[in-house]
Amino acid sequence: MPAALHGDVDLTDSSAQSRSRALNQFLASVELKAFKIAQAALRHEDDALDAVQDAMLQLARAYAARPPQEWKPLFYRILENRIRDMQRRRTVRGRVIAWLPFRGEDEEDEADPISQAASPEPQPAKRLELEEAMGALEQALGALPRRQRQAFLLRTLEGMDVAETAAAMGCSEGSVKTHYFRAVQSLRAHLGEFYL
Amino acid sequence: MSPGQEPLTAFERNVRTILEEGVQRIDARTRSRLNQARQAALASAQAPRRAPWRSFVLMPAAGAAAAALLLAFTLWHRQPAGELPVLEATHATAEDVDLLADSEALELVEGGDGSFYEWAAAQGDSGASDS
Repeated sequence: MPAALHGDVDLTDSSAQSRSRALNQFLASVELKAFKIAQAALRHEDDALDAVQDAMLQLARAYAARPPQEWKPLFYRILENRIRDMQRRRTVRGRVIAWLPFRGEDEEDEADPISQAASPEPQPAKRLELEEAMGALEQALGALPRRQRQAFLLRTLEGMDVAETAAAMGCSEGSVKTHYFRAVQSLRAHLGEFYL
Repeated sequence: MSPGQEPLTAFERNVRTILEEGVQRIDARTRSRLNQARQAALASAQAPRRAPWRSFVLMPAAGAAAAALLLAFTLWHRQPAGELPVLEATHATAEDVDLLADSEALELVEGGDGSFYEWAAAQGDSGASDS
């Protein structure tokens, strides 16, 4: 008797396998950019990894059967929801910690001494410039309002068009254009017209 | 260029270059963890899972069974506790009424000369000596 008659989702046939391969390719194509987007919002590497992992799991569990062209907006929508949840939780945790009488010096964010150690190799000037530019950009992105940052990164980094971005953000195309325009204005003000 | 994609300005192109450079520089450890997360997500998609309608069908049945159990448990514990004290009270009241109604028994117990107690003690002693 087919498994579907038992009420179970059977992913053992060939179409399911090809779908699984397609999902693998899709997730591999977005995971690095998604991580950077999450990192820009959360400013914490482990939290960003958790957010991307949760988004991958939820997409695979709940939306794998949807047409592949819907995956990207769905994935980024899930990711943004996850980022927002983590930011809220972090705000609440920050308030609670602020009330504690004997709180330490932010134990979780302790710098790794190995990663902080100076490299013995001399840093090329170009690399230093690039790192400075990245640092400045990360700061400017972090200062943007959430929706502006989301619109800007989805369009600029992920290369999504206005319609896809609107689907991912759950808003109208006009809103996407407004958020994106304001983000560019704000970044220009922070980084300068002749950035790079 | 896809529809809805307007040409980028020089500033936007520069920012995109920096962002893409940042993506290229993601370290091996992070890449490995992302790869593991992807494999876990794919495995969870392939695992057979319960159809959502099943829970909706079984939920009322489970609720009814739980309610029946709760009712049975409540009745089981309530029944003896409610009846026994009533029976005891009934017997005690009946004995009191008999004692009050029987003036002879009352005089026997409350006799001022103590003859009843002397007789009872003598009965006990003789019973003991007989044996």
